[in-house]
Amino acid sequence: MKRLLALVLVLTLALGVTAALAQEKMYISVISKGEQHAFWQAVRMGCEDAANELGVDMFYYGPPSEADIVLQVEALKAEMAKNPAALALAALSTDAVMTELQEAIEKGIPVIGFDSGVPNAPEGAIYATASTNNQNAAALAAEKLLEDEGLKAKLTAATPEAPVVVAVLSQDATSESVTGRTTGFVNKFVELAGEYGVVEVQGHTSWAMAAEKPAIILHVEIGASPRIDDMTNAANAVLNKNNLAAIFCSNEGAVAGMLAATADGSEFGEGGRFNGILVAGFDAGAPQKNAVKNGWFVGSVTQDPYRIGYLAVELAVKAANGEAVEDVDTGAQWYTKDNIDEPNIALLVYD
Amino acid sequence: MSVQGVAQAQNVRKLDYQKLLAPAVLVVMYAFFAIFGNNFFSSYTLKTILESAYYTGLMSFGITFVIITGGIDLSIGTNMMCSAIIGGVAFSMWGWPLWLALCLVPLVGVMFGVLNGILVAKAKLPPFIATLGMMLVTQGFGSIVSRVQTQRYPTIGTENEWFKTVFYRTGNFPTGALYLLTAFLIAAFVLNKTRFGRYVYAIGSNEEATRLSGVKVDKFKILAYAVCGLFAGIGGILYAATYTTAIPGTGNGLETYAIAAVIIGGTSMAGGSGTMVGTLIGIFIMAVLKAGLASLGLQAHWQTFFTGIVVIGAVLMDNVRVRAAQKVKVKT
Repeated sequence: MKRLLALVLVLTLALGVTAALAQEKMYISVISKGEQHAFWQAVRMGCEDAANELGVDMFYYGPPSEADIVLQVEALKAEMAKNPAALALAALSTDAVMTELQEAIEKGIPVIGFDSGVPNAPEGAIYATASTNNQNAAALAAEKLLEDEGLKAKLTAATPEAPVVVAVLSQDATSESVTGRTTGFVNKFVELAGEYGVVEVQGHTSWAMAAEKPAIILHVEIGASPRIDDMTNAANAVLNKNNLAAIFCSNEGAVAGMLAATADGSEFGEGGRFNGILVAGFDAGAPQKNAVKNGWFVGSVTQDPYRIGYLAVELAVKAANGEAVEDVDTGAQWYTKDNIDEPNIALLVYD
Repeated sequence: MSVQGVAQAQNVRKLDYQKLLAPAVLVVMYAFFAIFGNNFFSSYTLKTILESAYYTGLMSFGITFVIITGGIDLSIGTNMMCSAIIGGVAFSMWGWPLWLALCLVPLVGVMFGVLNGILVAKAKLPPFIATLGMMLVTQGFGSIVSRVQTQRYPTIGTENEWFKTVFYRTGNFPTGALYLLTAFLIAAFVLNKTRFGRYVYAIGSNEEATRLSGVKVDKFKILAYAVCGLFAGIGGILYAATYTTAIPGTGNGLETYAIAAVIIGGTSMAGGSGTMVGTLIGIFIMAVLKAGLASLGLQAHWQTFFTGIVVIGAVLMDNVRVRAAQKVKVKT
């Protein structure tokens, strides 16, 4: 009997020691918004590299598509049950994860937002966010488009009788990142184009701004759904505008629709139906890179997905260790056919 | 001629008018958008309408067979996407030459079609349930095989550019339309001129009577679902040619457009009646509506809304048609 007792005692001790040892390595959960775009692959790479360098255990989850709110919530629930040291989250819908965020506050688990972050989260839940400032990034596209002499000339020559149209194509008016980009572009464009004439913003009601006798019209087109056939239809609606001078596509989905509507963008090239219309894209992916390389797009804005992932995990580890953390802008770059092959840009523009 | 005979003849004539309804709606709609839409009446817009009809067209031709047998296939949208995704995986991840990867695409479609057929004909599952399950299976399968990676097909201006010229556009000529036309002619021929086609109608009208007259109903039902899968698979190639990217986890919802086109074209959900010409017209009603509403400058959610209204209207029309047909039967 004594021997048995001793054995049990030893076993319990051994188990306790193993458990303690296992606990020593910090466990971090990363719940992202997607898996399917190469963008998310780069984010994941950044997360994994950061986890390796900082010596923490990391679990990474991305739902099959950005419409799978339910799957993301389920994954988040499962991770919360494991009591991670910190959580990095790019929420598809803040409302859907409210309970889990409250739970995180109660349990004292620090949550780090990344990419589009967790907008309108309850106070105290989000310690910091690692993200591209979408407004700044899209403003970069407006600046670059307006550096074009041809566009400047068109805007100068525009009259209220024959207004020049510039369009923004976005896949939704709900997600923080896409709305941020749309707003960023609209604000910057209105500011800069005001030099050339009266600007009116038309299209989606969220951004519409009436003006008297406008010579320049900024049209905001939102797709019926982010699905590519709907985005292609929206792109066709934009291309259908009279006196169209320039287009900004605010993410990879909008770009995909624009490319499908214009034979991979070749219609913007020499001899194409839409030659002379300036197009600026956002994000990357092989088809968009091809359009930029061929000069069919003037250029595109890219975020730094690798840095988003890396900094998200870094912030999470810092927060778990009780260090003070604050929001970081992970930055954006403008790439054109001239610099797309330079190493520092090539790293950011995924296939 | 007896009084009853006259009444019957009148009813028959009414039915004929109803057959003309869908083409008339198409013409009126096109004229409406041509007048009120911005730049709608142009060869360019016509081309964009054609292009948006490639893959829905293929799906609709296929599912017409299944609906005439009295069944339904809810998995065609995801089956099409799954086929396109697996073709992309074979090309980009397994290193297959593009032509070989493209041969795989319709095969995947047929495989899921046959599975649907077996579940419905042999395992006697209700088609709605069997294909609803298959919808999730195909969606999941595409994600598993691709490891949830977006598949991108070759674009114009890159190596393998022939993919686009052969299946999508050569210069300004919409090559994809040739496949739509060929698929239509083959589907119409098979439905009207072959034994299989006649049995499809027979099964839809009265499955038991067809079985009792010695037809291997199960075999032809499986064949109908297989044909549906084949068309979805070929639709996958045209989808990839039109949109370049096939995204895992998507594809559901596309079947509603295909089914709506079939119903608008006058095929009865109850089975036993319907035509390929009707389906072709239904496809273009949907495509013209989509492009036309956009050309009016309507906001996107209004487009979705009106598309729904048209679908409901079409099903209501179907009900009226069925009732009119039953009236004739009673009087004979």
